[in-house]
Amino acid sequence: MKSDGALRLAGFAALTGAMFLQPLHGQAPVFEKPSHSGEKTEAVQYLFPEQVTVPAGKASPVALHFRIAQGLHINSHAPKDEFLIATVFTIPESSGVRLEAADYPPGIDFVLPVEPKEKLNVYTGEFTIQARLTARPGDHLVEAKLRYQACDQNACMPPKTITVPIDVVGR
Amino acid sequence: MKRNTVVLGIVLVILAIFGWAGWANWEYRKQAAERLLANAGQGELVASAAGDPQSMSPLVGKPAPGFALEDLSGRKVSLSSYKGKAVLVNFWATWCGPCKLETPWLVELRNQYARQGFEVIGISTDDIDRTDPKAFGDTKKEIATFVQQMHMPYPVLIEGDSLSKPYGGLDSMPTSFYVDRNGTIVAEQMGITSKDDIEANIRKALNGAGAGGLRTAGVGQ
Repeated sequence: MKSDGALRLAGFAALTGAMFLQPLHGQAPVFEKPSHSGEKTEAVQYLFPEQVTVPAGKASPVALHFRIAQGLHINSHAPKDEFLIATVFTIPESSGVRLEAADYPPGIDFVLPVEPKEKLNVYTGEFTIQARLTARPGDHLVEAKLRYQACDQNACMPPKTITVPIDVVGR
Repeated sequence: MKRNTVVLGIVLVILAIFGWAGWANWEYRKQAAERLLANAGQGELVASAAGDPQSMSPLVGKPAPGFALEDLSGRKVSLSSYKGKAVLVNFWATWCGPCKLETPWLVELRNQYARQGFEVIGISTDDIDRTDPKAFGDTKKEIATFVQQMHMPYPVLIEGDSLSKPYGGLDSMPTSFYVDRNGTIVAEQMGITSKDDIEANIRKALNGAGAGGLRTAGVGQ
Protein backbone atom coordinates (compact mmCIF):
# COMPACT_ATOMS: atom_id res chain seq x y z
CA MET A 1 0.00 0.00 0.00
CA LYS A 2 2.79 2.33 0.89
CA SER A 3 4.33 1.67 -2.51
CA ASP A 4 1.03 2.61 -4.21
CA GLY A 5 0.97 5.84 -2.23
CA ALA A 6 4.50 6.67 -3.33
CA LEU A 7 3.61 5.97 -6.95
CA ARG A 8 0.54 8.19 -6.69
CA LEU A 9 2.78 10.87 -5.23
CA ALA A 10 5.15 10.49 -8.16
CA GLY A 11 2.25 10.77 -10.61
CA PHE A 12 0.93 13.86 -8.88
CA ALA A 13 4.40 15.40 -8.96
CA ALA A 14 4.69 14.68 -12.67
CA LEU A 15 1.33 16.28 -13.41
CA THR A 16 2.06 19.32 -11.26
CA GLY A 17 5.45 19.71 -12.85
CA ALA A 18 3.98 19.47 -16.33
CA MET A 19 1.85 22.49 -15.48
CA PHE A 20 5.05 24.40 -14.65
CA LEU A 21 6.84 23.24 -17.76
CA GLN A 22 4.06 23.92 -20.25
CA PRO A 23 4.27 27.72 -20.25
CA LEU A 24 7.99 27.73 -20.93
CA HIS A 25 7.37 27.62 -24.65
CA GLY A 26 3.64 27.67 -25.04
CA GLN A 27 2.55 30.81 -23.23
CA ALA A 28 2.98 34.41 -24.19
CA PRO A 29 5.06 36.76 -22.08
CA VAL A 30 3.42 38.60 -19.18
CA PHE A 31 2.86 41.72 -21.26
CA GLU A 32 1.54 41.27 -24.76
CA LYS A 33 2.73 43.68 -27.39
CA PRO A 34 -0.24 45.77 -28.52
CA SER A 35 -1.56 44.93 -31.95
CA HIS A 36 -1.04 47.41 -34.76
CA SER A 37 -4.29 46.88 -36.56
CA GLY A 38 -4.45 50.49 -37.64
CA GLU A 39 -5.08 51.65 -34.09
CA LYS A 40 -2.94 54.65 -33.21
CA THR A 41 -1.94 55.36 -29.65
CA GLU A 42 -2.66 58.87 -28.43
CA ALA A 43 0.38 60.91 -27.55
CA VAL A 44 -1.49 62.36 -24.57
CA GLN A 45 -3.83 60.49 -22.27
CA TYR A 46 -6.18 62.03 -19.73
CA LEU A 47 -5.75 60.27 -16.40
CA PHE A 48 -8.16 61.67 -13.79
CA PRO A 49 -10.45 62.80 -12.20
CA GLU A 50 -13.38 61.19 -13.97
CA GLN A 51 -15.86 62.84 -11.62
CA VAL A 52 -15.69 65.91 -9.40
CA THR A 53 -18.22 67.43 -7.07
CA VAL A 54 -18.01 71.19 -6.60
CA PRO A 55 -20.19 73.78 -4.87
CA ALA A 56 -22.71 75.01 -7.45
CA GLY A 57 -22.14 78.56 -8.66
CA LYS A 58 -18.77 78.88 -6.96
CA ALA A 59 -15.41 78.74 -8.70
CA SER A 60 -13.61 75.67 -7.41
CA PRO A 61 -10.14 74.29 -8.02
CA VAL A 62 -9.87 71.02 -9.94
CA ALA A 63 -6.52 69.41 -10.76
CA LEU A 64 -6.55 67.65 -14.14
CA HIS A 65 -3.88 65.01 -14.66
CA PHE A 66 -2.48 63.97 -18.03
CA ARG A 67 0.21 61.59 -19.22
CA ILE A 68 2.39 61.94 -22.33
CA ALA A 69 3.59 58.75 -24.01
CA GLN A 70 7.20 57.86 -23.27
CA GLY A 71 9.71 59.26 -25.71
CA LEU A 72 7.39 62.06 -26.78
CA HIS A 73 7.01 65.65 -25.66
CA ILE A 74 4.41 68.33 -26.29
CA ASN A 75 4.85 72.08 -26.35
CA SER A 76 4.12 73.74 -23.03
CA HIS A 77 1.43 76.40 -22.69
CA ALA A 78 4.12 78.97 -23.44
CA PRO A 79 6.42 77.64 -26.16
CA LYS A 80 9.41 79.81 -26.99
CA ASP A 81 8.78 79.93 -30.73
CA GLU A 82 5.89 81.88 -32.24
CA PHE A 83 5.14 79.12 -34.74
CA LEU A 84 4.87 76.31 -32.21
CA ILE A 85 1.44 75.30 -30.99
CA ALA A 86 0.78 75.78 -27.29
CA THR A 87 -1.01 73.25 -25.12
CA VAL A 88 -4.45 74.65 -24.32
CA PHE A 89 -7.30 73.29 -22.23
CA THR A 90 -10.85 74.48 -22.96
CA ILE A 91 -14.40 73.69 -21.95
CA PRO A 92 -17.16 74.17 -24.52
CA GLU A 93 -19.77 76.78 -23.78
CA SER A 94 -23.23 75.52 -22.88
CA SER A 95 -21.77 72.55 -21.07
CA GLY A 96 -23.13 73.76 -17.74
CA VAL A 97 -19.61 74.30 -16.49
CA ARG A 98 -17.46 77.37 -17.01
CA LEU A 99 -13.69 77.39 -17.04
CA GLU A 100 -12.76 80.45 -15.01
CA ALA A 101 -9.03 79.96 -15.24
CA ALA A 102 -6.43 77.36 -16.06
CA ASP A 103 -2.97 77.41 -14.53
CA TYR A 104 -0.51 75.43 -16.59
CA PRO A 105 2.69 73.97 -15.20
CA PRO A 106 5.94 75.52 -16.35
CA GLY A 107 7.54 73.54 -19.15
CA ILE A 108 11.03 72.14 -19.06
CA ASP A 109 13.85 73.12 -21.37
CA PHE A 110 14.38 70.54 -24.08
CA VAL A 111 16.94 70.42 -26.87
CA LEU A 112 16.91 68.36 -30.04
CA PRO A 113 20.10 66.36 -30.62
CA VAL A 114 20.71 68.11 -33.95
CA GLU A 115 20.65 71.60 -32.47
CA PRO A 116 21.69 71.74 -28.82
CA LYS A 117 21.65 75.55 -28.84
CA GLU A 118 17.94 75.75 -29.63
CA LYS A 119 15.89 75.27 -26.46
CA LEU A 120 12.26 74.26 -26.57
CA ASN A 121 9.83 74.56 -23.66
CA VAL A 122 7.90 71.31 -23.35
CA TYR A 123 5.99 68.91 -21.15
CA THR A 124 7.07 65.30 -20.80
CA GLY A 125 5.79 62.44 -18.67
CA GLU A 126 2.85 63.48 -16.49
CA PHE A 127 1.59 67.01 -16.08
CA THR A 128 -1.26 68.67 -14.22
CA ILE A 129 -3.43 71.62 -15.19
CA GLN A 130 -4.97 73.46 -12.25
CA ALA A 131 -8.40 74.51 -13.46
CA ARG A 132 -11.01 76.64 -11.70
CA LEU A 133 -14.49 75.52 -12.62
CA THR A 134 -17.88 77.01 -11.90
CA ALA A 135 -20.72 74.54 -12.31
CA ARG A 136 -24.45 75.07 -12.44
CA PRO A 137 -26.46 72.88 -10.07
CA GLY A 138 -26.81 69.36 -11.39
CA ASP A 139 -24.79 66.67 -13.10
CA HIS A 140 -22.85 67.77 -16.17
CA LEU A 141 -20.99 65.37 -18.42
CA VAL A 142 -18.42 67.80 -19.77
CA GLU A 143 -16.44 67.04 -22.89
CA ALA A 144 -13.52 69.35 -22.31
CA LYS A 145 -10.77 69.64 -24.93
CA LEU A 146 -7.01 69.57 -24.80
CA ARG A 147 -5.17 70.82 -27.85
CA TYR A 148 -1.53 69.91 -28.16
CA GLN A 149 1.20 69.14 -30.65
CA ALA A 150 3.55 66.25 -30.00
CA CYS A 151 7.04 65.42 -31.24
CA ASP A 152 9.83 63.01 -30.50
CA GLN A 153 13.50 63.88 -30.92
CA ASN A 154 13.39 63.78 -34.71
CA ALA A 155 9.91 64.44 -35.98
CA CYS A 156 6.54 65.94 -35.12
CA MET A 157 2.95 64.80 -35.39
CA PRO A 158 0.22 67.18 -36.55
CA PRO A 159 -1.58 69.18 -33.86
CA LYS A 160 -4.37 67.29 -32.18
CA THR A 161 -7.36 67.99 -29.96
CA ILE A 162 -8.48 65.24 -27.60
CA THR A 163 -11.66 65.05 -25.57
CA VAL A 164 -11.30 65.18 -21.80
CA PRO A 165 -14.46 63.69 -20.32
CA ILE A 166 -15.26 64.91 -16.81
CA ASP A 167 -18.46 64.34 -14.88
CA VAL A 168 -18.90 67.58 -12.95
CA VAL A 169 -21.53 67.55 -10.21
CA GLY A 170 -22.61 70.97 -8.93
CA ARG A 171 -24.23 70.87 -5.48
CA MET B 1 11.16 0.23 2.37
CA LYS B 2 14.00 0.39 -0.10
CA ARG B 3 11.55 0.73 -2.99
CA ASN B 4 9.76 3.57 -1.20
CA THR B 5 13.04 5.37 -0.71
CA VAL B 6 13.83 5.05 -4.42
CA VAL B 7 10.36 6.34 -5.39
CA LEU B 8 10.64 9.20 -2.91
CA GLY B 9 14.03 10.06 -4.36
CA ILE B 10 12.63 10.09 -7.87
CA VAL B 11 9.74 12.27 -6.73
CA LEU B 12 12.16 14.72 -5.14
CA VAL B 13 14.29 14.82 -8.30
CA ILE B 14 11.18 15.39 -10.43
CA LEU B 15 10.00 18.14 -8.12
CA ALA B 16 13.44 19.75 -8.20
CA ILE B 17 13.43 19.70 -12.01
CA PHE B 18 9.97 21.19 -12.11
CA GLY B 19 10.91 23.78 -9.54
CA TRP B 20 13.85 24.79 -11.71
CA ALA B 21 11.63 24.79 -14.80
CA GLY B 22 9.12 27.04 -13.08
CA TRP B 23 11.83 29.45 -12.02
CA ALA B 24 13.38 29.46 -15.52
CA ASN B 25 9.96 30.05 -17.04
CA TRP B 26 9.31 33.00 -14.72
CA GLU B 27 12.69 34.53 -15.56
CA TYR B 28 12.05 34.09 -19.28
CA ARG B 29 8.67 35.76 -19.09
CA LYS B 30 10.00 38.55 -16.90
CA GLN B 31 12.84 39.31 -19.33
CA ALA B 32 10.49 39.18 -22.33
CA ALA B 33 8.16 41.63 -20.58
CA GLU B 34 11.05 43.96 -19.78
CA ARG B 35 12.17 43.85 -23.42
CA LEU B 36 8.66 44.73 -24.60
CA LEU B 37 8.37 47.55 -22.10
CA ALA B 38 11.76 48.90 -23.13
CA ASN B 39 10.76 48.84 -26.80
CA ALA B 40 7.41 50.46 -26.07
CA GLY B 41 9.18 53.12 -24.07
CA GLN B 42 10.99 54.55 -27.07
CA GLY B 43 7.91 56.33 -28.37
CA GLU B 44 9.55 57.13 -31.67
CA LEU B 45 7.48 58.61 -34.46
CA VAL B 46 9.94 57.29 -36.99
CA ALA B 47 11.75 54.05 -36.42
CA SER B 48 15.50 53.90 -36.52
CA ALA B 49 16.58 52.78 -39.95
CA ALA B 50 19.98 51.39 -39.10
CA GLY B 51 20.23 47.82 -40.24
CA ASP B 52 16.50 47.29 -40.33
CA PRO B 53 15.38 45.77 -43.62
CA GLN B 54 11.80 46.78 -42.85
CA SER B 55 12.75 50.42 -43.15
CA MET B 56 13.27 50.03 -46.90
CA SER B 57 10.84 52.59 -48.24
CA PRO B 58 8.22 51.14 -50.60
CA LEU B 59 8.39 54.34 -52.65
CA VAL B 60 12.12 54.23 -53.26
CA GLY B 61 12.89 53.07 -56.79
CA LYS B 62 9.43 54.03 -58.01
CA PRO B 63 8.30 57.08 -59.96
CA ALA B 64 7.49 59.99 -57.67
CA PRO B 65 3.71 60.46 -57.48
CA GLY B 66 2.81 63.48 -59.57
CA PHE B 67 1.13 66.56 -58.14
CA ALA B 68 0.08 70.07 -59.00
CA LEU B 69 -0.46 72.27 -55.98
CA GLU B 70 -0.81 76.01 -55.48
CA ASP B 71 2.02 78.12 -54.22
CA LEU B 72 1.44 81.05 -51.88
CA SER B 73 0.53 83.33 -54.80
CA GLY B 74 -2.09 80.90 -56.06
CA ARG B 75 -0.02 79.67 -59.02
CA LYS B 76 -0.16 75.93 -59.74
CA VAL B 77 3.19 74.19 -59.56
CA SER B 78 3.59 70.62 -60.76
CA LEU B 79 6.34 68.12 -60.12
CA SER B 80 6.37 67.20 -63.81
CA SER B 81 7.56 70.70 -64.68
CA TYR B 82 10.86 69.83 -62.98
CA LYS B 83 11.60 66.85 -65.19
CA GLY B 84 15.30 66.70 -65.98
CA LYS B 85 16.18 68.15 -62.57
CA ALA B 86 16.97 66.40 -59.33
CA VAL B 87 14.30 67.45 -56.84
CA LEU B 88 14.00 67.31 -53.08
CA VAL B 89 10.30 67.19 -52.20
CA ASN B 90 10.24 68.39 -48.60
CA PHE B 91 7.02 68.08 -46.60
CA TRP B 92 7.07 70.42 -43.62
CA ALA B 93 4.82 72.52 -41.39
CA THR B 94 5.09 75.79 -39.50
CA TRP B 95 4.36 74.00 -36.19
CA CYS B 96 7.22 71.53 -36.70
CA GLY B 97 10.34 72.41 -34.73
CA PRO B 98 12.66 69.96 -36.53
CA CYS B 99 11.46 71.38 -39.87
CA LYS B 100 12.57 74.81 -38.76
CA LEU B 101 15.97 73.42 -37.83
CA GLU B 102 16.59 71.65 -41.13
CA THR B 103 15.28 74.43 -43.40
CA PRO B 104 18.50 76.52 -43.30
CA TRP B 105 20.41 73.39 -44.39
CA LEU B 106 17.99 72.89 -47.28
CA VAL B 107 18.40 76.52 -48.33
CA GLU B 108 22.18 76.26 -48.17
CA LEU B 109 22.31 72.97 -50.08
CA ARG B 110 19.79 74.16 -52.64
CA ASN B 111 21.95 77.19 -53.37
CA GLN B 112 25.06 75.01 -53.48
CA TYR B 113 23.70 72.45 -55.95
CA ALA B 114 21.25 74.58 -57.99
CA ARG B 115 23.74 75.00 -60.83
CA GLN B 116 23.99 71.25 -61.21
CA GLY B 117 20.27 71.02 -61.81
CA PHE B 118 18.92 70.62 -58.29
CA GLU B 119 15.79 72.17 -56.82
CA VAL B 120 13.83 71.93 -53.59
CA ILE B 121 10.04 71.96 -53.55
CA GLY B 122 8.75 72.74 -50.08
CA ILE B 123 5.22 71.52 -49.42
CA SER B 124 3.47 72.83 -46.34
CA THR B 125 1.14 70.42 -44.57
CA ASP B 126 -0.39 73.13 -42.42
CA ASP B 127 -4.12 72.58 -42.21
CA ILE B 128 -5.87 74.64 -44.88
CA ASP B 129 -9.59 75.33 -44.63
CA ARG B 130 -10.86 76.82 -47.87
CA THR B 131 -14.42 76.96 -46.54
CA ASP B 132 -13.38 79.62 -44.03
CA PRO B 133 -11.84 82.56 -45.93
CA LYS B 134 -10.44 84.14 -42.77
CA ALA B 135 -8.81 80.93 -41.55
CA PHE B 136 -7.51 80.29 -45.08
CA GLY B 137 -5.97 83.75 -45.23
CA ASP B 138 -4.51 83.47 -41.73
CA THR B 139 -2.86 80.13 -42.44
CA LYS B 140 -1.40 81.34 -45.73
CA LYS B 141 -0.11 84.42 -43.97
CA GLU B 142 1.53 82.29 -41.29
CA ILE B 143 3.18 80.08 -43.91
CA ALA B 144 4.35 83.17 -45.80
CA THR B 145 5.85 84.62 -42.60
CA PHE B 146 7.73 81.38 -42.00
CA VAL B 147 8.99 81.33 -45.59
CA GLN B 148 10.11 84.93 -45.31
CA GLN B 149 11.85 84.44 -41.97
CA MET B 150 13.67 81.35 -43.18
CA HIS B 151 14.64 83.02 -46.51
CA MET B 152 13.37 80.04 -48.48
CA PRO B 153 14.29 80.73 -52.14
CA TYR B 154 12.49 77.72 -53.57
CA PRO B 155 8.81 77.17 -54.39
CA VAL B 156 6.61 76.52 -51.39
CA LEU B 157 3.29 74.85 -52.07
CA ILE B 158 0.28 74.46 -49.78
CA GLU B 159 -2.21 71.70 -48.99
CA GLY B 160 0.40 68.98 -48.75
CA ASP B 161 -2.07 66.84 -46.83
CA SER B 162 -3.77 66.09 -50.14
CA LEU B 163 -0.65 64.08 -51.06
CA SER B 164 -0.76 62.00 -47.90
CA LYS B 165 -2.00 58.84 -49.59
CA PRO B 166 0.29 58.71 -52.64
CA TYR B 167 3.29 59.64 -50.47
CA GLY B 168 2.78 56.88 -47.93
CA GLY B 169 0.89 58.59 -45.11
CA LEU B 170 2.98 61.61 -44.17
CA ASP B 171 2.31 60.85 -40.51
CA SER B 172 5.15 62.94 -39.19
CA MET B 173 7.13 65.98 -40.25
CA PRO B 174 9.57 66.59 -41.77
CA THR B 175 9.43 63.96 -44.49
CA SER B 176 11.50 64.31 -47.65
CA PHE B 177 11.69 62.45 -50.93
CA TYR B 178 14.70 62.72 -53.21
CA VAL B 179 13.75 62.45 -56.86
CA ASP B 180 16.32 61.94 -59.60
CA ARG B 181 16.33 63.56 -63.04
CA ASN B 182 14.12 60.80 -64.43
CA GLY B 183 11.44 61.31 -61.80
CA THR B 184 12.37 58.26 -59.71
CA ILE B 185 12.51 58.44 -55.93
CA VAL B 186 16.03 57.46 -54.89
CA ALA B 187 15.76 58.11 -51.13
CA GLU B 188 13.26 58.95 -48.45
CA GLN B 189 13.99 60.72 -45.20
CA MET B 190 11.60 60.72 -42.26
CA GLY B 191 12.33 63.08 -39.39
CA ILE B 192 15.27 65.39 -39.12
CA THR B 193 18.63 63.94 -40.00
CA SER B 194 22.10 65.42 -40.39
CA LYS B 195 23.05 67.92 -43.06
CA ASP B 196 25.58 65.38 -44.32
CA ASP B 197 22.83 62.80 -44.84
CA ILE B 198 20.73 65.31 -46.74
CA GLU B 199 23.67 66.23 -48.94
CA ALA B 200 24.44 62.57 -49.64
CA ASN B 201 20.84 62.04 -50.75
CA ILE B 202 20.97 65.13 -52.94
CA ARG B 203 24.06 63.76 -54.65
CA LYS B 204 22.30 60.45 -55.09
CA ALA B 205 19.40 62.25 -56.77
CA LEU B 206 21.76 64.23 -58.99
CA ASN B 207 23.61 61.10 -60.00
CA GLY B 208 20.42 59.08 -60.51
CA ALA B 209 21.28 56.31 -58.07
CA GLY B 210 18.07 54.49 -58.96
CA ALA B 211 16.41 51.82 -56.88
CA GLY B 212 17.74 50.23 -53.74
CA GLY B 213 18.04 53.26 -51.49
CA LEU B 214 17.21 53.04 -47.85
CA ARG B 215 14.78 55.19 -45.97
CA THR B 216 16.72 57.26 -43.51
CA ALA B 217 15.12 58.23 -40.26
CA GLY B 218 15.98 60.21 -37.23
CA VAL B 219 19.34 61.62 -36.33
CA GLY B 220 21.67 59.70 -38.53
CA GLN B 221 24.91 60.93 -37.04
